[in-house]
Amino acid sequence: MVELVLFYSLAIMVVLAAVGVVMASNPLLSALHLVLTMLGVAGLFFLLHAPFVGAVQILVYAGAVMVLFVLVIMLVDVNHLEVKFVGGKISALVKGLAVGIFSGLIAAMTMRSSIQIKEIAGDQSFSMIEISKVLFTKYVVAFELLGMLLLVIPIGVVALSRIRGGTHER
Amino acid sequence: MNVELLNVGLPHYLILSAILFSLGLAGVLLRRNMIVMLMSIELMLNAVNVTFVAFSRYNHNVDGQVMVLFVMAIAAAEASVGLAIAVTLFKKFKELNISFFEHLRG
Repeated sequence: MVELVLFYSLAIMVVLAAVGVVMASNPLLSALHLVLTMLGVAGLFFLLHAPFVGAVQILVYAGAVMVLFVLVIMLVDVNHLEVKFVGGKISALVKGLAVGIFSGLIAAMTMRSSIQIKEIAGDQSFSMIEISKVLFTKYVVAFELLGMLLLVIPIGVVALSRIRGGTHER
Repeated sequence: MNVELLNVGLPHYLILSAILFSLGLAGVLLRRNMIVMLMSIELMLNAVNVTFVAFSRYNHNVDGQVMVLFVMAIAAAEASVGLAIAVTLFKKFKELNISFFEHLRG
């Protein structure tokens, strides 16, 4: 019963906030709605007995990534960004239709195929120890590659922000 | 009322994730502001994370949660690069509307 109430309130909050991200005309409002979405998804992770992932979600997404977004919105001129959606009505209609068909397909597949898995195989959540054991044995190569990526990315970002126009230099 | 709706199970999480993913997709397709498009991409990645954790719980398999950590790291890296490009473009052209860049000419 508690799970039911929590799931539906979190789900409604997440979906409404996601609609806010897509529809808000001011990018800053979109960013604030996105924070709400991230927090709701973190709540869903806690509800799914994944406290470590939920905590990382709050720290990395609702903390670091969102600060990055808000900082960049501060750097650019918000009044300048007030144009909003695609121009043509027909192209917007076609794109909306494509999204609708796509979501309908996913929902239909979900209803048909995954309805059998109802019981929870084991009821206790995974501890950080179990997660890190898998992370450092089975996925150790991917982990090291990820570390290398996180080394390359800041260098690339710094190089990118120092560009003086590149091929378009005047 | 339908009993299926009242027993929260795997399909609930999968359908919620489908709704989130579709909203993110709609944002990428319909919005013309580069920063909002990047936010919509984050929305789609989050929807995938919900799916991973839901399957991890209902199959009692820890691999899903490890995957979520990878997805989060990649998403953070992608957001930082995308925003750096956005700032560079804004410095150069004083514009972030995607329609402005569609001809790829200086």
